[in-house]
Amino acid sequence: MEYISIIVLVVIFVSLMALGVPVAWSLGLSGFITLLVTVATVPSATTIAQRMGTGLDSFALLAIPFFILAGEIMNKGGIANRLINLAKAITGKLPGGLLYVNVISAMLFGAIAGSAVAAASAIGGILGPRMEKDGYPKELGASVNITSSTMGLIIPPSNILIVYSLASGGVSIAALFIAGYIPGIFIGLLLMITAAIFIKKHNLPAGEVTSWKELGSKFFSALPSLMLLIIVIGGIVIGVFTATEASAIAVIYTLVLSFIYRELRVKDLPSILMKASETTSIVMLLIATSMSMSWVMSSEDIPQSISSALLTLSDNKFVILIMINLILLFVGLFMDMTPAVLIFTPIFLPVVTSLGIDPVHFGIIMVLNLCIGVCTPPVGSVLFIGVGVAKTTIAKVFLPLLPFFLVMVLGLIILTLWPQMTLWLPSLFGL
Amino acid sequence: MNKESSVTLKSKLDKIIALLLIIILSVMVLNVTWQVFSRYILQDPSSFTDELSRYLLIWLGMLGSAYVAGQENHLAIDILPQKLTGKPKMRLMIFIHLVIIAFALPVMVLGGSNLVYITYILGQKSATLQVPLAYVYAIIPLSGLLVLYYQITLIKNILINKTA
Repeated sequence: MEYISIIVLVVIFVSLMALGVPVAWSLGLSGFITLLVTVATVPSATTIAQRMGTGLDSFALLAIPFFILAGEIMNKGGIANRLINLAKAITGKLPGGLLYVNVISAMLFGAIAGSAVAAASAIGGILGPRMEKDGYPKELGASVNITSSTMGLIIPPSNILIVYSLASGGVSIAALFIAGYIPGIFIGLLLMITAAIFIKKHNLPAGEVTSWKELGSKFFSALPSLMLLIIVIGGIVIGVFTATEASAIAVIYTLVLSFIYRELRVKDLPSILMKASETTSIVMLLIATSMSMSWVMSSEDIPQSISSALLTLSDNKFVILIMINLILLFVGLFMDMTPAVLIFTPIFLPVVTSLGIDPVHFGIIMVLNLCIGVCTPPVGSVLFIGVGVAKTTIAKVFLPLLPFFLVMVLGLIILTLWPQMTLWLPSLFGL
Repeated sequence: MNKESSVTLKSKLDKIIALLLIIILSVMVLNVTWQVFSRYILQDPSSFTDELSRYLLIWLGMLGSAYVAGQENHLAIDILPQKLTGKPKMRLMIFIHLVIIAFALPVMVLGGSNLVYITYILGQKSATLQVPLAYVYAIIPLSGLLVLYYQITLIKNILINKTA
């Protein structure tokens, strides 16, 4: 029986998505039709509607609109620029330094804004023209920008880790946030090393040398923005406030800062609030329909059939993890992160926890895996934005991107096989 | 004829929804800030903020989804629609709008109304605010109706302008 449901679900969902029906509606409709196979029409429709409502009914989810709003405010309020200036003062003088600047500012900005798409467009937009003037190959710059932007999704605060916490049924957000630091910085370093190889190959120029005094002044001008990270993450980890409360404080903090910098006016606020509402709604509809789809799947026992199928193949935890990684890499080619996390966490998490894998470790692996997915064609939101701001094409950027993908996959393998790298920091804080 | 007199129902509706979204999001921020403030500064944790923000989020998400559907901004893989031109593209776009209607009408409007009806009859109320849950869920059929309206308008535009 469940095989019919799986086939109905997958065929309808994939065909609708391929035809260009928005992902959220495809999820909702395929879940609804699958439920119709076994349940009468009225209860099916009512249940799906109810799951959409209850799917959004979560205090933890509130952090998402607030971090999105804080990101919008930072974009307009001159905070992105100050972070880039700091990164420039640190690594700008090295040959090909702008590429390192890109990685570092993507990690800083992404960490604060929590959106890879926002990081790719803000930083690529600012650094791209500079790189072009200094003779950097466009495609190389775009590759670095695209891959490094995703590190903001692993380095906290991160909306996708909140979504994972929800999908996993309550893995601690504080633990996930802290766990993200080392893997995120690790992949960032791997990307910089890869960039270094290409810098040598292309013989890229060095930027101007910054004096210590200038470095200090750049640091002080970025300090209030960096303070935000300390307040938000520190507050969550010590337990002063929840992730949601921290996100609301982030909004107030960025707002006050942008007014002090005089880069934001009261009359800009409605458009910022509207932009944040729209982005939030796009994510919320994805969450609502993913949650109803996920509910349909579990009511049809689909997760159980998949887990038992996986466990018949092997009971070695690393073999299972590698298999799950391969499935997720494939899924990530076609699917956006939020629905992928909401749909596949309930399927895979019981399998891996039964093998003794820590849910925090698994969450970081899953998100990192899907970070690779958002950079890959045919469907990759960060890829599209990165290519767009660099004014190049996916076809042209594909080969230069390849080594950066492979490095991310390498990092993923290392982090998969070496759980301590992820779990050490949270254990240090007793999380 | 000046442009202002030709303001359509759709753009009026867009403005009203946009205003509502801005208000809801602002209230949400103030609400959660108040929660922190009341707990740490006043030492008297407010009891309603948690529930109020959760319900506002449902409203924001649902109402915003309808708005974004009207703007055709929901995340989609638009490789096929981008490749097509002329008649085939028009047909595909109409099909996509019909698929959205095929979800919004039975699930959001009818299923959602049934959900509101059931929670109303059962008299389910929220834990602290004592708001009937039917009011919270009412946004689902309401947004469903808005989605229907927007999709029909989009189809009508394709048929009138003969281009997608």
